[in-house]
Amino acid sequence: MKDFDLIIVGAGPGGSMAAKTAAEKGLKTIFFERSRKPGEKNSSGCGLGPRMFRDFPEMMKELTPDKCPSMRAGTASRNYFVNNDDIVSGYIMARPTESVSYEPAKSWITMNVYRSEFDPWIAKFATDAGAELKTSTLIVDLLKEDGKICGVIDEKGEKYRAPIVIGADGVISTVAQKSGLRNKWAQNQVTLTLQYDFQAPSDKIDDIMGDETLAVWWGSNFPASYQVFFNDGFHQGLGNWMNWWDKNPLYYLNRVINLKYYQRLLKILDAKPRELQSHLLPWLDYPFNTHTDSVILIGDAGGFPCPLEAEGIYPAMVTGKIAAEVASEAVTSGDVSKATLKRFDEEWQNTSIGKEFEAGCELWNIWKALPFSPKETMSWFVPMIMEILGGIFDWSQPHALRVRQIISHVKSYMPKATPFIMTYVFPLIAKVFEDDLDKLMDPKKIMKVLPKLLDMLPQKKKKRGG
Amino acid sequence: MKIELEGLTNRVPGTGDFITIDYAKCNNCECCLIICVMNLWRKKEGKIYIVDDYQSKCLECAACYQICDASAIKFQYPTGGTGIVFEKG
Repeated sequence: MKDFDLIIVGAGPGGSMAAKTAAEKGLKTIFFERSRKPGEKNSSGCGLGPRMFRDFPEMMKELTPDKCPSMRAGTASRNYFVNNDDIVSGYIMARPTESVSYEPAKSWITMNVYRSEFDPWIAKFATDAGAELKTSTLIVDLLKEDGKICGVIDEKGEKYRAPIVIGADGVISTVAQKSGLRNKWAQNQVTLTLQYDFQAPSDKIDDIMGDETLAVWWGSNFPASYQVFFNDGFHQGLGNWMNWWDKNPLYYLNRVINLKYYQRLLKILDAKPRELQSHLLPWLDYPFNTHTDSVILIGDAGGFPCPLEAEGIYPAMVTGKIAAEVASEAVTSGDVSKATLKRFDEEWQNTSIGKEFEAGCELWNIWKALPFSPKETMSWFVPMIMEILGGIFDWSQPHALRVRQIISHVKSYMPKATPFIMTYVFPLIAKVFEDDLDKLMDPKKIMKVLPKLLDMLPQKKKKRGG
Repeated sequence: MKIELEGLTNRVPGTGDFITIDYAKCNNCECCLIICVMNLWRKKEGKIYIVDDYQSKCLECAACYQICDASAIKFQYPTGGTGIVFEKG
C-alpha cells in the first residue's frame, strides 16, 4: 500500500494539468497512464485553441517546434461545400476577423499538434512540479473501505491510497463506473470518431495550403469531415453519435477520400496514408454527475468537450486545474464529501467552459441537426448556400434577372429551411442574446409572413425609362 | 482509391483477452457488426462473435462495448503498456 494526498487516473492534458496544480500546492500526487508514455493511446483533439494560450500563457509559450515538431499554426480555415453528386460546389476561406479581441487569436485560429508529442510535453510540467507519473499501469478498480472510496487498485492488485481520486481517464472512465457516477453514456451522449493520418512533405503543405491548416468538408453523403494539417502530414476524420451509423463508419470516411476534388488534393500534396485511428468522444449538452464523495471527474471522463465542435483539451486543462485546487482545499480541511466537492461545479461553471455550456443545449441541437444530419439537412443546405453564394457570380442572364432566378430558386428550399430555422436557429439566437423571442418563435406567424416577404422580392413592377 | 488498412496501425503485443461476449445477454441486434471500424465482429449460424485475432487489429475505441444496449460485450482496456500505439494521433 502506497499513500498519497491525491491520485489522478489518466495522464492526458487534463490529468497532467491536475497533477501539476496539485504538486505545486504541495500535495503528494501520483498520476497513472495505461500506455508506455502519455499520448500514445490518444488520437484527435489535436487542434489547440487560442484560449489555451490566453489562459495558460506561462506554459504555452514553452511549446516550441524543438519540443513538438508536428506543430503548425492554422491562421485560416476553409469550408468546402460538397453537393449531392459528391462534387465540391464551392468553398469559403476565412481568417480571424476584425472583431477578434486578443492574441494569439488575432493571428491564428488553431495550433495543430500530434498528441504523441503534446501529451508527454504537458505531463513533464507535472513531474517537474514533483508529481509522480506511473506509466504502463492500468487502474481497474477503486479502493474502498467501509463503503468509502479511498484510493485505486491496478491490474496487478497493487493498492494506492489517497483521500481523493480524480478521474481523468477519458470517455470510458473506470473511475466514473466504479464510483457509481456513470455506468455508461447514453448513445446520444457519445460519438464515434475515426480518422486517417496522411503523411505529406512539409514544403508541399506550405506551398499548396499556405496558412490554411483547418478545413471542414460539408456534404450530404457523409457527416461533416474535418481536415487538420500538421508540420508533415494531416488528419482527415469524421464522427457521429453512436446510434446514427447504418453501415461501417469507414464507408463514410472513404466517401470523403474518394471525392474527385480530394483525390486531386492528395495527388498534389504527394500525400500517403500513414495511420488509421478511431475513438469515442463524449458530446453533451451539459456535463452531469461530475463528482461524489472523494471523486471528481474532469475532461472527457466528465463530459466536458465543447457542445458545438467538441474541443477537448482546453476544457480538460481548465477542469483539471480547478479539480486539483478544490481537491487541495478539501484534503487540507479533511472534508472530502460530495457537498464539499460541489465547489468543483461552481468553479468550472464560472469559467469560459461554463459560459460555453450555458448555450450547450442549443449548440448541441444545431450541430446534431446540421453537419451530423447529412441526408436530412445538408442535402438542401449545401445547394441553397451555393445558390446564393455562387448564383450571383454568373452572367448567363441579365444580372437583375439572375437575382430574381436565384431568389425564386431559394424559395423552393423554404419548406425545409423554415422549420429548420424555427427549430434550431431561433432558439440559439434567443439564447445568444438572452432575450425572449416568443414572437419570432411562433411557426404559424413566420410561415404566414415569410412567403409574402419572398413573393415581394422577385416581382418586376415596371420598366425603367419606358 | 482503396486504402489498404494493413500497416496503418502499430501495436505492442501481449494484451491478453480484453473483449468478451456474454451470450446469455446478447440479443443478436448486430449493432456491433455495424459500428466496428475494423470489422472485427462477425455472425455465423445465428451467433455473433469477435474474430480470433482481434487483439492484433483492434483500435481500442470501445465502440462495440458502448453500442451494446444489452450489455453483452465486456471491454477492459488491454494490459498497461500493451496494445494500440498512435504515433500520429
